[in-house]
Amino acid sequence: MKRNALSFLLVLVLVMALVAPVFATGSKEASAAAAFDPNAKYEVTIGAYGDLEKAYKAVFASADFKAKYPNIKVTFQTSDFGGHHNRLTTVLAAKEQSNDIEALEVGFIAQFVEAGGLMDLNAAPFNGGAISKNIVKFAMANATTAKGNLVAMPVDIAPAVLFYRADLAAKAGVNLDNLKDWDEYIAVMKKLADPAKGIYAIEHPAAVQAIPLNGGKGGWIVNGKPLEPKAKFVSALELVRKVKAANVDGDLGAWSGPWSQAYIDGKVATIVNGAWFGGTLRTWLSPEPGKWRVAYLPGKMMASLGGTYLSIPETVPAARQAAAWEVIKYLTTNPSAQLITFKEIDAFPALTSVYKDPVMDEPVAFYGGQKVRKIFADVALNIPENKVSEYDNVMLAIWNGAVTDVVNGVATPEAAYKTALDKIKATIF
Amino acid sequence: MDKLNARRRNLTPYILISPFFILFCVFGIYPISYSIITSFFNWPLLGNAAPKFIGFDNYANVLTRDPYFFKALYNTVILLVFGSLMQHVVAVPLAILINSKIIRSKEFFKTTFFLPYITSTVSVVIIFGLLFDTNYGLVNWVISFFSEQQKIRWMFEPWGIQAVLAFILNWKFIGWNMVIYLAGLQSIPSELYEAAEIDGASTLRKHLSVTLPQLYPIMFLAIALSIIGGMQIFEEPFILTGGYDNLGGAQNAGLTSAYYLMFTAFKAYRLGKGSAIAWLLFLVILLLNGINRLAIKRLQR
Amino acid sequence: MAIKIKPQKVLSYLFLGLMAFIFAYPFYNVFVLATWPSSQVLSFPPRFFFGAGLMENWQQLFARIPIGKNFYNSLGIALLSTGSVLFFCTMAGYAFAKFEFRFKAQLYAFVIATMAIPGFLNIIPFYKMMVAFKWVNTWLPLIVPGMAGAFGIFLMTQFLENSIPAELLDAARIDGLGEFGILIRIVFPLSKPGLAVLGIVTFVGSWNNFTGPLILLPRIDSTTLPVALSVLNSRVDNNLGALMLGNALTLLPLMLIFLFFSKQIISGLTAGAVKG
Repeated sequence: MKRNALSFLLVLVLVMALVAPVFATGSKEASAAAAFDPNAKYEVTIGAYGDLEKAYKAVFASADFKAKYPNIKVTFQTSDFGGHHNRLTTVLAAKEQSNDIEALEVGFIAQFVEAGGLMDLNAAPFNGGAISKNIVKFAMANATTAKGNLVAMPVDIAPAVLFYRADLAAKAGVNLDNLKDWDEYIAVMKKLADPAKGIYAIEHPAAVQAIPLNGGKGGWIVNGKPLEPKAKFVSALELVRKVKAANVDGDLGAWSGPWSQAYIDGKVATIVNGAWFGGTLRTWLSPEPGKWRVAYLPGKMMASLGGTYLSIPETVPAARQAAAWEVIKYLTTNPSAQLITFKEIDAFPALTSVYKDPVMDEPVAFYGGQKVRKIFADVALNIPENKVSEYDNVMLAIWNGAVTDVVNGVATPEAAYKTALDKIKATIF
Repeated sequence: MDKLNARRRNLTPYILISPFFILFCVFGIYPISYSIITSFFNWPLLGNAAPKFIGFDNYANVLTRDPYFFKALYNTVILLVFGSLMQHVVAVPLAILINSKIIRSKEFFKTTFFLPYITSTVSVVIIFGLLFDTNYGLVNWVISFFSEQQKIRWMFEPWGIQAVLAFILNWKFIGWNMVIYLAGLQSIPSELYEAAEIDGASTLRKHLSVTLPQLYPIMFLAIALSIIGGMQIFEEPFILTGGYDNLGGAQNAGLTSAYYLMFTAFKAYRLGKGSAIAWLLFLVILLLNGINRLAIKRLQR
Repeated sequence: MAIKIKPQKVLSYLFLGLMAFIFAYPFYNVFVLATWPSSQVLSFPPRFFFGAGLMENWQQLFARIPIGKNFYNSLGIALLSTGSVLFFCTMAGYAFAKFEFRFKAQLYAFVIATMAIPGFLNIIPFYKMMVAFKWVNTWLPLIVPGMAGAFGIFLMTQFLENSIPAELLDAARIDGLGEFGILIRIVFPLSKPGLAVLGIVTFVGSWNNFTGPLILLPRIDSTTLPVALSVLNSRVDNNLGALMLGNALTLLPLMLIFLFFSKQIISGLTAGAVKG
């Protein structure tokens, strides 16, 4: 076996030497996209995940789109969230042609911002900068490189708010609408939770950790230093520890079967999440109207939890890019498209001009007539800008380990922070 | 004429085995060379930056600086012992029991034990994720009859994660191994047992002194397959502990070597370093199979 | 004597019965959960009996994905790859088991060693090749590269070594049967148990493959069952009931095939498919 293994390795090395020339990097045509011709027929393919297809199909079926672009036919390739991003990563890593438009969740955008691989939508012929004045600032910043390249257009964003059950709050005699700070939130949660009846105040202690960090979307490296300022990160872990110590959580892993069942059964009183979570509640977890309300996060903290971007990979042939760009432009900057998307799947518009639309002022029956969209819009306009980096994914995964350690009580916030920092330094720097 | 026939016959085996080598040349060499070559480069998975040749730096980084590689290897070996090698500890007695004269409806038991082999990882994780759930799970429900203690948080405690993973692997592959050992048992000449009976050996004694040694060759093969499969285990822990966002759950308990190499390549976007981990893993598998071979040889002596 | 044996027998059956329950219950559980509507799948104590939501789940499943087409794709790919694996691996196994030739040991060791190469990162260069071959969105990349897999060759070599007597082959040669005649007329018919084992292993592997079709069969109506079902797992409209039914429906064909062939498969394995 040993000698055979050795000869095997030898053969491999030989073969390797023979094949090495194949690795000359493939040629790339950097020719500019042709201008869009309204009279030509186009077919645009979109790679999407989750329920984006449902929303965009509604947009493309609208009279307005059909009148503007009668010659564009759109087809979809939809997978689940993980599958979509895995496929896209593989195709782009192989530097092969992808769909004309690829949707990217904000967590995946960072890698492309500095490394390249997606068309610069600020450059001619797209000139995306000129038409995106009304798109919310922080989302544009996340997709813009240091050199000013725009790698994708934000189509929806996720202003973070506190969803809570009005009936449970009333029963416990608490008010969640203007929480001063996290301590008050925890005090209120203690009144909400009723472990004897299996009523929990919050899904899991880790559910709040990302909020002081602006949802964990960016901000992991400041001036070349990871996890800075320290106080901010330790306070996030300290918050987790306090929530855990309050013993009000259901210990439910987000998106697991039991997690959804707990919401279906009405056993969890609050959840911190992006505006789009309303769609999940409405269609599936808790369809009965009037039960849920929306409040600002404690201390009016502003954060973003998710968001979708649309991009044109560099591997898309130049001839197909013009029509792809028209579709992106329509989805991201046309108010009616933004509102249809919002209506269909609760994906909150990235286009700020629609926040003035009367529909944003309407009471929403699902939230017992509360004017929740004003809260979403207010948060959206005030989300801080954070720099994304290509290391965000790794840092987030290591950080999640620190959070779990604090939840499980095997490390203090201070110690968990230090371990995470050491691991990040050893892994990345 | 005869010579021609002989020549033709000499060529026959090469023609018969040629499909493997043709397919290997067409589909195997390029990917394998690609991963060997990338392992010597700082090779970003995505983007336009040119890969930079860095010699053995990826290997050195993994072996000296990386905070997860050895942790992942340790987890993998633990899983190998309690998930994959344990199967053999259960499968051998199970095979002996089913093979014994006192058991009827052998087919029923064989089929039932083998059935889990056909399940996909996704189904398995969905099923066991629910069975081992803290609040709704059957396992905790059963335990609640025997113990007043707090419900076990299988998916959130490091040992719980490893226990569930090991259980899944045992459940899925014990039947496979049991059937293989049944084959071994049926080829043991009955004279050996008769001789032992004449010596007045007890049942246990008989199995220890006759059955086990006769099974060594087949054990070597079955364990070799377990090592190759077990050291490359990826999907079960990956899906069970939440994928790329978590690095294997609480205290990285579910982080296996293959999981970490996938993370490094596809989430940290360092294809070069991921390739280096893949080849180190290959060497570990060869090493373990060497140990397996030595151990069985020792036992046989 | 008879009295003495009894407790031992009872204990044995108890033990085997308990084991059989542990092995079979998860399957039963899958089918039970598939019949409960989404909002009632989970409960405490857990569900032990069938519910009334089967039709509802069924309708939702069919509304979401072209499950008939997906089923056809899964079955077609699995059958074609199983057929070709059986053919080419038996050929190679016959050569390694029954012929003496130069470099045999080295070539066999090479075949075996390829099994230990972690293939996880191959997907990128493999995908590049498939694009170059214009094979994306066809069944070919999921069938052709694995047609003569190392594991199959290993399995068939082990099996044929033990199950076909050399005298039989010699007799056939004396009767004037050519080498390929022997392969078709003698080796294949005599390897039925081995073929059953390799067949189920290959079929299961192909049927359960996820990453391959995800990347190589990108369209929902040209992809396989597991990939199509994963769409149901989207976060925003997660449908536990339909997901469970989908899960059950992926398992069911394999279970039926296995139960149908279980005698051959198990006798194949026990006839020494993997013998030392």
